[in-house]
Amino acid sequence: MLGKTAIRLAVMIFVMSLAGIAQGQDKLQNYFSDAAGKVKVTTDPTEKREILNKSFEKMTKALNSVQGSPLVSKDDKASMEHFKVVLKEKQDELAGINGFERVPDEQLNDFSDYVVQDMEQATETVTLSLVALLLIILIAVLI
Amino acid sequence: MEREFSATGRQSCVRPFDQACLPNAFRMFFCLALGAVLFSCSSPPPAPSETAPEEVNSLPPRYIIVFIIHGDGGYLYHDTDGNKFRADEEAVNSAKIVAERNSQAEVFIFHEKRKKHFLFLFPRHDGEFYYYRNGQFLAQESYWRDHGQSRFDPEIELYNRFRAEERSRPKKFFLYFGHEIPEIDGKGYDASHKDRSFTVTDLVDGLKHFNQNSTKFDLIALSTCFNGTPHTIAALSPYAEYIIASPGNLHLSYFDLQPFEALDIGLRDGDVSSLAMMCARQSFERLTKDVQTEISIAVYDVDRVQTFLNSVNSVYDLTLTTLKDKPSKSIEHCDCSEDSAYLQPAISDGIEVFFRPAKFGRSKQKQVHSGWECLRLLN
Repeated sequence: MLGKTAIRLAVMIFVMSLAGIAQGQDKLQNYFSDAAGKVKVTTDPTEKREILNKSFEKMTKALNSVQGSPLVSKDDKASMEHFKVVLKEKQDELAGINGFERVPDEQLNDFSDYVVQDMEQATETVTLSLVALLLIILIAVLI
Repeated sequence: MEREFSATGRQSCVRPFDQACLPNAFRMFFCLALGAVLFSCSSPPPAPSETAPEEVNSLPPRYIIVFIIHGDGGYLYHDTDGNKFRADEEAVNSAKIVAERNSQAEVFIFHEKRKKHFLFLFPRHDGEFYYYRNGQFLAQESYWRDHGQSRFDPEIELYNRFRAEERSRPKKFFLYFGHEIPEIDGKGYDASHKDRSFTVTDLVDGLKHFNQNSTKFDLIALSTCFNGTPHTIAALSPYAEYIIASPGNLHLSYFDLQPFEALDIGLRDGDVSSLAMMCARQSFERLTKDVQTEISIAVYDVDRVQTFLNSVNSVYDLTLTTLKDKPSKSIEHCDCSEDSAYLQPAISDGIEVFFRPAKFGRSKQKQVHSGWECLRLLN
């Protein structure tokens, strides 16, 4: 099992490093779009919140792990710090803490679209290096 | 004037190799690879509706449209059903529809693509040019984007090579699609040319050369985020009568090009201001249907915004100088009206703003936008 995962990861790294940084960004955008897709097929608001919360937590954990890696630059680390702040704001809004009104149950689908669209426009993901993007995605998949 | 319409004059995509030293087996591989490269870089199939140049030339174009569509970066977006789109490819398709539907327009479409390699070794062209005249698709050329001193040298060379002789004063449009064009730094704008920089100054330099007869573009549209700033609008002012830009976020699905599809109708009275307003309004209405993030689109009447620009130029330039050496992560965008230095009596003159705040986030209560975006240091 571990061997298979390792091979898959190696192939993924190879293919993505050939395809370049844009592919890395695409994977990151797909991550949030997949979460939004799952939110929309669920009718239970509690489950919707759980999916969104989990997606923020997994990504934050991945960012924390990659920030500690010697493979990423100082600029990348600063970008990731900013990215984490953006994620935390969304997580707070979902929960209705730190000055945010809680996202109403009937708006959770729209909120999941907001997360996707905001990430697609966010410059902090655009400026990450390929190495950083690859590591973030790989770790987020593994967690 | 004679024009060349075939897809000739393409630059070779093969670099010189010394075959004499290659062993036989490798030489065979080399030949196969070379053949494949030549095949991959061969001319695109002839335009389906190719028309004799003299036939097309008989009608002088009433409109000239230049599209620059940047695609060398993160341009993937999803619709609300999760379908994936590439913003640049969608923009190219829309530009082609505009070109085909205007029977009196000369249209130049430049697609700045990501640099790719064939067999991981041989670089492929990273620019694609499409040329239409009077609704006819006449030529397509691949080109290298990094050949030239200035950012738009390759595009300007193609523009000058193909453009028709102007017999009367046509209406001219320049439409740019991409991410925010930086005002400072600008490194990393192209994902595959990290060392190259692109700023508003480079755009202005390009406009200067697209405008050699010194007539202004009737309309410049920047389908980008955050370019509705005093600095950008002032920099573009010598080259445009009207400018459409977004002072805030603009979704990657971009401005609506549908108003450009029938310029004979949209410009029946020769009123560019109405066309600009229609384009801004339609884009705003389309985006508000599905987009949850902020939507802001502004139309600037270049002559009428000069009073405001003159009153704030020194303040804005000082900000740019101050922020020049600061890390980009410590800089944020804000509505200029949030800074008292910009609250000048003329702030609303000559500007129409279409604004809807984001449905979520800290700024969801913001009801109006001045149409001018500024920069400031994060607290």
